[in-house]
Amino acid sequence: MINALATEILKARRSHVPWVTAVAFTVAAAVGGLFMFILQDQDRARSLGLIGTKAALVGGEADWPTYFAFLAQTTAVGGMLVFGLVSVWLFGREFSQNTVKDLLALPTSRTTIVAAKFVVALAWCLILAVQLVLLGLLIGAVLGLPGWSGEVAASGVAMIAATAVMTMLLTTPVALASSVGRGYLPGVGVMMTAVFCAQVVAALGYGQYFPWSVPALFSGLAGPDRVSPGLFGVLLVVLVGAAGVAATALWWRNADQDR
Amino acid sequence: MAPVIEARGLTKRYATVVAVDELDLRITAGEIYGLLGLNGAGKTTTIRMLLGMVRPTSGVVRVLGAAVRPGAQAAWSRVGYLVETPAAYPELTVRENLAVAARLRALRGSHHVDEVIERLRLTAYAGQSARTLSLGNAQRLGLAKALLHKPDLLILDEPANGLDPAGVAEIRDLLRELSQEHGVTVVLSSHILTEVTRLATRIGVIHRGRLVRELEAGDLTAHLRQRLSVSARDLEAAELALIAAGFIPIRSAADDLVLADARAVREPDAVATALVAAGCPPTRLVVEQDDLETFFLRVVEA
Repeated sequence: MINALATEILKARRSHVPWVTAVAFTVAAAVGGLFMFILQDQDRARSLGLIGTKAALVGGEADWPTYFAFLAQTTAVGGMLVFGLVSVWLFGREFSQNTVKDLLALPTSRTTIVAAKFVVALAWCLILAVQLVLLGLLIGAVLGLPGWSGEVAASGVAMIAATAVMTMLLTTPVALASSVGRGYLPGVGVMMTAVFCAQVVAALGYGQYFPWSVPALFSGLAGPDRVSPGLFGVLLVVLVGAAGVAATALWWRNADQDR
Repeated sequence: MAPVIEARGLTKRYATVVAVDELDLRITAGEIYGLLGLNGAGKTTTIRMLLGMVRPTSGVVRVLGAAVRPGAQAAWSRVGYLVETPAAYPELTVRENLAVAARLRALRGSHHVDEVIERLRLTAYAGQSARTLSLGNAQRLGLAKALLHKPDLLILDEPANGLDPAGVAEIRDLLRELSQEHGVTVVLSSHILTEVTRLATRIGVIHRGRLVRELEAGDLTAHLRQRLSVSARDLEAAELALIAAGFIPIRSAADDLVLADARAVREPDAVATALVAAGCPPTRLVVEQDDLETFFLRVVEA
């Protein structure tokens, strides 16, 4: 496992994709900071040209709880795309670049290689979440947001971390699609479909039963009047994650690799 | 001697298409076995089944004594392979690509990588990213990955692809040396007949998924047909004279007469005598042999 992990880390380290995902999460934290800056004083924002003269931003107070909630919601929606990209790249590249055949008849089992890829994906996503938290803390401190307390910070960070883990778990079927479809596009297709369906199902009020809507509901994206996903919703997310991992490993082990 | 590769009744069907049909293969240690066939004959599917990449519809394969099946990887630490076009991680250097392969083969130390880089003459490109390699050097990198761990069995699908003539000769010498001096068993596939016949100790001809002929490389010449080619100034008179002398001449597209019967090939002097006696002496009289391509096409069309 160590050897497989080392090779996956080397491949990721030498790619541009980690930088792309880091930039995406940096932009997300900066956009959150921009919203906080506008909410702090909308007349100032108008005079600086950040919003139109007749525009008004609604969405809460410019304080730490709101900012943490915004970052968690960004992780839920943006994370599905960014974490999905990580899975698409980790798995789809082996087929698009035809390197998969060099992974199939080795002393290191295919299951170990798949497991190493998922471990790297999880670590990668957690690092992005940590980056988001650190940037959020920095931006919030620079803006001088009110409402800071140890409790607020702990619950805000926990919400972001939990949302990140749930969102990452929901991208395991993207890894399966990239493998079965032997390339990037099928994974991207599944990722987009999941994001679209999550929005529709959540809007219809059934989000707690649809795993891909759960992180957004958990982070409060649908508003305070929406039902919390609860334990059942979280369980669904864990089931999807486990099923995605198992199905991907089984597919790598058993499917004909004839292309 | 226990076979290094043993396949029995190996069959692969894709819906109505039979890619490999009841193929039996027995390859012993130290052999260089050439799997020869036209494009689409089933060579790559056979190789993928030997490597456990494709599951046979029916039949069994054993490699180095171990049954090939999903999840079984006992043999793979002793097998090196190259399937179809070589692939590498484009952003990694040649050395890093080999280091990845070495890691996955649990090889300790960097000397394995250093040795194979030198052996495949990749030293000048070791620090270069794989995306910048020429097709020939990419092929060398693919072969380097196959040889990295000093395997007992090498399975190579079209190993000469992309190499220039000097590279082809170099790889041929390398494989021959591995086989003769280190007892490595080599299985290689190719659609290039001359390449296989120059290297292989035994040849299997595969056509439409079936192994249609197996022969020792040394016996190949015995299977090549001979014929006598005759030219004369008056071809019609020469033809009539030869028929009268009991031969069976056939007018060829090159506007000469071809005599394929054994007596004509054995006694070209009798043919010449008959033509001189009839007043149309030969201007050209040559015993010719099937070239390898003709032999191959004859075998697969039989």
